[in-house]
Amino acid sequence: MNNRVPQSLRVIAISLAAIGILALALSGTFTTLSRWVTVPITAVQTWVSNQYQGVENFLSASQDIQEIRQQNTALEAENARMQAQIVELQQQLVEFEILSALLEFARANPEYQYIGASIIGQDPSPFLNYIIINRGSDDGLRRGMPVVTQNGLAGRVVQVTASAARVSLITDPITLINVRVEPSRSPAVLTGSVTGDITLEQIPQDADVNPGNLILTSGLGGNYPANIIVGQVTSVRSRENALFQSASVQPVTDFSDLSIVLVITNFEPVDFSPLIPDESSP
Amino acid sequence: MSVILSIPILAFISILQSAVVSRLPLNQGVADLMLVLLVAIALQKRVTTAWQWSVIGGLLIDFTSGLPFGIFTVSYLLATALAKVLRTRVWRFSFLMQLLVVLIGTLISQGLSYLVLFLQEGSLAFLTVLQVITMPTIILNFMLSLPIFVLTRDVLDQIAPQEQNA
Repeated sequence: MNNRVPQSLRVIAISLAAIGILALALSGTFTTLSRWVTVPITAVQTWVSNQYQGVENFLSASQDIQEIRQQNTALEAENARMQAQIVELQQQLVEFEILSALLEFARANPEYQYIGASIIGQDPSPFLNYIIINRGSDDGLRRGMPVVTQNGLAGRVVQVTASAARVSLITDPITLINVRVEPSRSPAVLTGSVTGDITLEQIPQDADVNPGNLILTSGLGGNYPANIIVGQVTSVRSRENALFQSASVQPVTDFSDLSIVLVITNFEPVDFSPLIPDESSP
Repeated sequence: MSVILSIPILAFISILQSAVVSRLPLNQGVADLMLVLLVAIALQKRVTTAWQWSVIGGLLIDFTSGLPFGIFTVSYLLATALAKVLRTRVWRFSFLMQLLVVLIGTLISQGLSYLVLFLQEGSLAFLTVLQVITMPTIILNFMLSLPIFVLTRDVLDQIAPQEQNA
């Protein structure tokens, strides 16, 4: 059928139809029709678009959360590192303060030579108030050397190995130190105890000793150098018929918080044993 | 358990005792970590080398202590002997046995230390020692007993099959 209609007529007919449709569209005839068609299409398109947006948001948000988590982990690690650094710096500050105080003590007592030592342990037996320090005979330490802190006397080296030494604290039950009480200059003997308390014994009855008086080493006996502060009298016990007075002493060194000490290396303990007469000899 | 294995383990325990445990006193008493561990080991029926462990542990603690040499070794050997006697006669309530042996072991160790120091110095007040050293030490040893006992048993459970094969 189409073959019998000439080509030019077909073009004219199509053009007229197109012009007609355009004329109808421009005149508003198709408005209602197009609304019927576009409304459902728009609704469907909106729904599809919304779903796509949702999926896109979900995927991008998931990536953000992953990123935030990574950042959080990195920040937490950084925070932990900073906290560790703070603890380390605080420890260094405490050590610095102790070392400054020890240096001050060394400057105030320039007649002695010192070696600083860290405390690395305590005696396993609760009966002995001994500490173990990280310096030994390789560092020039010898038995009998006095040990001090920035506040005063701490004890004496009683045993030495190549790289460590054992120090008997003044609170040890075996301790006996010749001291004097200031300002009266009364002689006395300082003793330790199992409770960790130190007491003054053999104070002459006529000595004027009062709470608050300072206790210093007297140097008698040759075991400790003179004039090192040991503690302070807290209370005095005096009985009428007793030969001596006694007193409780608060040590100047806090032994519960001891971490660094100084060993006086140029003090030679005096050995009195050759002067003690041998009972077996005639 | 191998005796060779005991040397590094007990050396570490000895360091721990001196560097940490001794610095955590209750009044003047300090826990005896070595005693508690040796008792826990001696109470395990599968352990055949408890004596050797006690000797090595005792020597290590004697080496680090200022007390006359041998006090800890003797104390630990006596505690081990007690543990071995008990474990052959009692087959249940292992943890109560641990507490009992730790109590008696602590009293032996403290008694020997007191005796030696008393003979040397002659000025140790018995009641004061009991109050400020012995009682707190017993309490601390009891506190350590449960974790050490459980830990020892669990470790031995891991090691024992190898020992049986060996």
